[in-house]
Amino acid sequence: MSGLLELRDLSVHYRSARGEVTAVRSVSLGLESGQTLGLAGESGCGKSTVAMSVLRLLPRTARVEGQVLLDGEDVQGMTWGRLRAVRWAAASVVFQGAMHALNPVHRVGEQIAEPMRLHGVSGSVSALLDQVELPARAARAYPHELSGGQKQRVMIAMALACEPRLVIADEPTTALDVVVQAQVLAVLKRLVTERGIGLVMISHDLSVLASTCDRLAVMRHGQVVEEGPARQVIASPTHPHTQALAAAFPTVGDPASRHVTPSEVAPDGPVLLRAEGVRVDFGATRAVAGVDLEVRQGEIVALVGQSGSGKTTLARTLLGLQKPTAGRVLFEGRELPRSASGLRAYRRQVQLVLQDPTSALNPRHSVYEAVAEGLRIHRVQGDEAARVAEALSQAELRPPELFFPSLPHELSGGQRQRVVIAGALALGPRLLVADEPVASLDASVRGEILALLLRLRRELDLAALVITHDLGLAWTIADRVAVMYRGELVEQGTVEQVLLSPRHDYTRTLLAAVPHDQRSTRPNWTSSP
Amino acid sequence: MTAIAWQRRRAAAGATWREFASQRGGLVGLVGLAVITLLALLAPWVTDASGLDVTRVTARPWEPPSSTYWLGTDHNGRSVLLLTWWGTRISLVVGLAATVLSVLIGTVVGIAAAHFGGWVSAVLMRFTDFFLVLPSLVLAIALSTVLPRGLGTIVLAIGVTAWPATARLVRAQTLAVEARPFIERARALGGGHGHVIGRHVLPAVLPLVFVNTTLTVASAIVAESTLSFLGLGDPTRVSWGSLLHAANMHGAVSQRAWWFLVPPGLGVVCVVLAFTLCGRALETVLNPRLKGER
Repeated sequence: MSGLLELRDLSVHYRSARGEVTAVRSVSLGLESGQTLGLAGESGCGKSTVAMSVLRLLPRTARVEGQVLLDGEDVQGMTWGRLRAVRWAAASVVFQGAMHALNPVHRVGEQIAEPMRLHGVSGSVSALLDQVELPARAARAYPHELSGGQKQRVMIAMALACEPRLVIADEPTTALDVVVQAQVLAVLKRLVTERGIGLVMISHDLSVLASTCDRLAVMRHGQVVEEGPARQVIASPTHPHTQALAAAFPTVGDPASRHVTPSEVAPDGPVLLRAEGVRVDFGATRAVAGVDLEVRQGEIVALVGQSGSGKTTLARTLLGLQKPTAGRVLFEGRELPRSASGLRAYRRQVQLVLQDPTSALNPRHSVYEAVAEGLRIHRVQGDEAARVAEALSQAELRPPELFFPSLPHELSGGQRQRVVIAGALALGPRLLVADEPVASLDASVRGEILALLLRLRRELDLAALVITHDLGLAWTIADRVAVMYRGELVEQGTVEQVLLSPRHDYTRTLLAAVPHDQRSTRPNWTSSP
Repeated sequence: MTAIAWQRRRAAAGATWREFASQRGGLVGLVGLAVITLLALLAPWVTDASGLDVTRVTARPWEPPSSTYWLGTDHNGRSVLLLTWWGTRISLVVGLAATVLSVLIGTVVGIAAAHFGGWVSAVLMRFTDFFLVLPSLVLAIALSTVLPRGLGTIVLAIGVTAWPATARLVRAQTLAVEARPFIERARALGGGHGHVIGRHVLPAVLPLVFVNTTLTVASAIVAESTLSFLGLGDPTRVSWGSLLHAANMHGAVSQRAWWFLVPPGLGVVCVVLAFTLCGRALETVLNPRLKGER
């Protein structure tokens, strides 16, 4: 008796201009009803291709070898009519990025009903919405009227419309905040147990999979490198790639994943940057509502909060890119200059590292030009090439001359972020403001970039303000944490204080929402007063 | 270090050329343009300009095509072939000059409106809208009536009326480029307006401007012909439009002198087609999404 879904020796090749590229190599996996299978891996490892091959949703350039058995029937051999009947009725997909997978001009109720109409199945939209914990009136809403989490739940409702026995969820929570992510994961978990469906969950985030899946398969370069019960794979990974993935999602409270040694924590150095009662209004919206924050020399401060909490606006204000409505920003005790030339001089001291290095680099500029850009703006005297080479090697791109002529698209994500960091370092700043510096990077690269930030602090006495939604990141590298909620700092203090014994309710909600695996004992913050 | 940049630019230009050369339409347009330009440049050496002088004609008026006058003669007995040949020069010069003027105005207004935003954008865009809603031909006619007759007037009249579309296009592209994070990075590095526009916005907008230019040339040549046909051109010079104007005035139709009407008309069609083919091919090179399934 074969299971609900069985992949036998599946390989997928894509025909491209450069010849055939193999995306998936001899993958064999199985799934029973009522079970959850996690598929983990970095971008480009073939996990989405595996998922799409189940419903034959691959582009025409794909060539598939091996078998995909759905309830014992080979999907590859199905006729077009049979395939149409199977799609959605037997197996459905929760697509990645709910904001783009919904049609903006139709009400979500119609969109949920669409597969039912196509398959001639009777059912109730409000019952489906109820299952994903949305009110029935949400059916009347257009996609833009719903939040990200609500849209993702609409997608799940849509996937359940024809009561399929198999649901494939492709990065269902990637674009969501931790709090919302926890809610969506809870909905999925409940549906698996209540309705006995089989769930294939794809994610790059091991902690998400660890908290939901029974079995876990880790993919790399199109191959499954490790497979087994989720608990076991995460607790004692055998393959080095799994170990790297696991290490990239640190557990808050686990001393092993804290990379700051107590001796490194800066003593009370001089205050470098200080915000006093900073308030920023955009029209009637208050983005930042009176924030006091300090960054000392050689200190790494993490600014934590959900998206929309105003943390990026605060960072832009600290950089002088945004004028505060009220309050002031002081650098070394002096207020930020307002004149263009004064601000330009200030920018040599404080530099910005953006979230997505791919878009932060001009695609037409070579690495050399990107790094030298700041030097040219400030008309720095001296040997430009030598300074660029020095900045690149500080950012661990060695040998630097090799990277000079490269264009951004020729580099990997991690290398691009290093170029951005090198561009900031070339000016010899005292403070780096890093806005989600690793959020768009693959798991295995994250650790390296964070180690680089720590090393720069150690060697150059560089202070950093790291903006993140990821509490694990704060735990890994920060000395102090400031938690931002609706434009206000609700709590700040040392990492241990804030993350291990949080005082504010919001901090506790954030911490509770972080997916937990079974590697370490939970810190005892739920019972703290 | 600029050597690296130049080497890369050469490589990029080579790749662009190969992509362009792979499109037959674009290549045909380019060859056509080259031939027409060469003919226009060589006219004073290859042909005898005295044939344009009405006082020195030897042939009878309205002579049909023959072995001496391949395309026949006009109402004054001048060779139509010679007239059309010399007309190429004026049509091309006016078309190119007017395009340069209009694209220059359009690019400056578009980039300024998008980059500075706020009230600068509001003022500039209302100004653009004003020119956009005015029928450009009527405006050009009005301008060339008021201003003294001459080549410069025609260029000005076309240039001043043709820029709003370019401005809108460049503004949209600039807005898209300025929303990219690398602009934010350049600002954080300390770059001012000049740096952001010169190093990041302009290089990203220029390909689009270039494509737009080739397409604008075509419409500028048509506009020149239209104005000359209406008798608003420079009366001392021969252009395709003024030839058609003369044909119309002196009753080429009633004389059944098709040879006076067809050559200048075909001239306009050929040049416009060549520029449009080139422009479309360039557009496809710079925006591969237009390529479609092949």
